Order: sequence, then structure tokens, then C-alpha cells
Amino acid sequence: MTRTSLQIMRDTVHALLMRELKTRFGSSKLGYFWALAEPAAQASILAILFTLLGRNSLSGVPVALFLISGVMPFKTFNKTVTQLSSGISANKALFAYRQVSPIDPILTRLTIELATFFIVYMIILSVMAWLGLDVWPQDILELITASLLLIALGFGIALCMSSALIYWQDANKLLGMVMTPMFFISGIFFCATMIPAKYWYLFTWNPIFHAIELSRDAFFASYTTPVGSWGYLALTSLSFVTVGLMLYRVNRIRFATL
Amino acid sequence: MIKFENLSKYYPTKQGRRYVFKDVNIELPTDVSIAILGPNGVGKSTLVRMLGGADYPNKGEISSDKKISWPLGLQGGLQGSMSGRENCRFVARIHGYKNTQEIEQKVYEFAEISAYFDEPVKSYSSGMRSRVAFGLTMAFDFDFDVLLIDELGAVGDANFRHKSQALLESKFETTKLIMVSHSMGELRKYCQAGIVVKNQNIEFFPSLEDAIQEYKDTYVTAK
Repeated sequence: MTRTSLQIMRDTVHALLMRELKTRFGSSKLGYFWALAEPAAQASILAILFTLLGRNSLSGVPVALFLISGVMPFKTFNKTVTQLSSGISANKALFAYRQVSPIDPILTRLTIELATFFIVYMIILSVMAWLGLDVWPQDILELITASLLLIALGFGIALCMSSALIYWQDANKLLGMVMTPMFFISGIFFCATMIPAKYWYLFTWNPIFHAIELSRDAFFASYTTPVGSWGYLALTSLSFVTVGLMLYRVNRIRFATL
Repeated sequence: MIKFENLSKYYPTKQGRRYVFKDVNIELPTDVSIAILGPNGVGKSTLVRMLGGADYPNKGEISSDKKISWPLGLQGGLQGSMSGRENCRFVARIHGYKNTQEIEQKVYEFAEISAYFDEPVKSYSSGMRSRVAFGLTMAFDFDFDVLLIDELGAVGDANFRHKSQALLESKFETTKLIMVSHSMGELRKYCQAGIVVKNQNIEFFPSLEDAIQEYKDTYVTAK
């Protein structure tokens, strides 16, 4: 039985997928539940806060829907970066097998994050539809594209992080410090039209802000983003993926002896 | 035949690059079992890991048209957070098996660690680890031309040694060993040829006794 390189990679990613799914979701009985509950709870808490403040729509969009359209991409981005960058060290005992190369656990976790994102998003939207909200995205293809570009950005950053971690173990702590304020400046509970135009420059350097703006533009007929730029988002994502892959290529020997 | 071409391997240390191997060019036969000789820290395990594809040379390459196993030893191969059974499943899957039950069962029977088979590997003793590790290669019906062994027998009890020895002997025609061990008795039992790791290079001896003599002359001071 001779397999091509691609078939070996496919078999390896499948084997890692089975293993990762078990540790990620199967370790506690409520594993799958938390994947769903976490973003839902976060959006709910924010929604309750806004309702208590007396708002029931933001930019003409129901509060809950507005929030979930920001929380979901951000959560997924956050998870993609943290999960993927720890993928190599979590699986390094398995590099003893020549079939397993360091990129395999990263691709495995990317697959898991992608699948989780789409499934959880669909379930949450279905529940909202059942509660009587109009959840059908105005332009579903654009929404998917914006989400994929953001996940690609996470993948690129995670690749860079994996390489950085070889040289500096504390890089993870720095990442945590950067990610926390990101929650507040990525436009999760506000959008560009709520900010005076002269302050836009404070937010527009942030590709996550662009991704969420573009997602909402695609999602809601009533919202048109004044700042969201496909070009900028695509460029940053592609740049990070390119640099990440280059760093991976340069450091591929070092991963094995981590 | 296993071919080393311009192979260099170093580890970065605080004093700069420390070369374990430098410009190694050699061809090792695969029709005899080979013992690897050398003192601690000279690069025996690194050599085995590179042969098994678990580590990579910094320069040059190792090529072979034979099927070489992964390095069987205490450090690598088994993932601590997975159970013995899950490790078996994983190895079967990366080797392209769709149905893994048969292999799981074979390892389970060979390892004789009963209920521990479903506990995480990190809770195993080193003897139990080597039982599973060895059972795994066995379960693949020795689908290897060369089996890499790094100090595996050292921790087994008499029962396990006897069992693995019988198994190795029964496969001797088709599967050769490349073996690291500090027990000369064990090496003499299994190997016909030897290599000595010395001066960042590898020297091959078709006769094991010559290799042992060279090893003693080079490294053993108390005669």
C-alpha cells in the first residue's frame, strides 16, 4: 500500500482530528455544550446590559442579533489564534512518527475551529429565528467571505506565534495581554456609525474591526459600513498567512526538537 | 541500504552550535542487524531519531528504499494524555488503516496490562510503556524492514523480555534491527554488525566484535 504525500497528510489530519475532538469536547460531559454556550452567554449578557440601558435596537438591528454578529467572529478569531498556536506543543510527542509533521496539528485545529464556527453560528441563528427574529443574512456569501478572511488572519497570526514560541516561551502571555483589550476595540458592541467620523482612525488600523464591520454590512440590509474595507482585511490576512508560512518553513526543523 | 549524504546535525547551545554529526557520508546495509555503540550523549539517540524521521538533519539527508519503523524507545511515540488504546488507534490511522479494532486487540493481548490499556499513558510505569510501544510494532505484523530500538529492553521484566525476544527471533528473516543498548549481552544476541559513533562521525564494522573492540579502545578507560 503506497500512499501519496497528500494521502498521508489526509490520514494524519484525520487521526489528529479524532484525538483532538476527544480532548477538546469529549473530556467533560458538557464539552459540546460549552462550545455553544460560551458565545451565546457572552452575547446574552451584553444584550441584557443594553436592554437595561433602554436600547432595543442598534442601527436598526435587534440588539441580540447585532451582538451575536460581532461576538461570533471575534470568539472564533480568538479561539483560532490561541488553539492553533498551542497545537504544536500539545502534540509534539506524536512527531516521533514520520507521518506527522508540525503543520498537521495546526491544520487539524483550524478544521475544528472552522466547523465549530459554522455549526454554532447556525444553531444560534436558528434559535433566534425560532424566537421570532428575522435572522436570514442579506448577503450570505459576503458574510462567509468576511468570516473566512478573519479566520485566515487568525491562522496566520497563530503560525507566527508558533514560531515565536520556539524562541520565547512567554510570547503567549503577550498575546493574552493584547487579545483582552481587542474585545473592546473591535466593534463587538458598537459599529462605525456610532462613532464620530473624526475618531474612526482609532479603530480602522484593526483588521478585526474591518471584518466585523463587513460582516454586519453583509448581514443587515439596514446597515452600510462607512469604513469596512475588503482590500485592507484581505491584505492583512494574506500578509500574516504568508509571513507565518515562511516562518514555519524556516523553523520546521526546530519544531521537531522543541 | 540506508544512505547518509553530507549529513550534519547540531544543537544550539549557549556556547554556540554543538555538532553531533558533521559531514557524514556512509551507506549502511539493511540485511544485517546493527548495534549502535557509543557513550552517553554522543548522539546515538539522535541518530536513531533521524533514521526514524522523528528528527531532521540540519544539512544533508538520509535516504532509503526500505521501510523503517519509528524509533521504539522510552521518550517518543506514545502521547501521555491519550490512553494506550487511543495511541494504538492513532498509529493505525496515520498508517492508513481504516479499521483500527484489529490492531487495538493485538496490542491489548500482547501488552498484558489489562485495564490500564484504557488509562492515560502518563499513568504507566516505564515497563508498561515499553510493552505497549513494542506491542504496537508487533501489531503491524512487522511490516518493517528495519526496526529501530532505543534502549527498549532495559525496563522490561523477565516475562516481557522472553516474549519480545521470541517474537524478534521469529521475524529475523524479514526484519532487521538497528539497536541502541548499553548491554553488550543483548547486542550480541541480536546484532551481527555494529557502528561506533565517534568524532562527530559514524564508523561501520561488518563484525560486531570489531565494533565492540573499537568502542572499548576509544571510550572505555578502565579495562
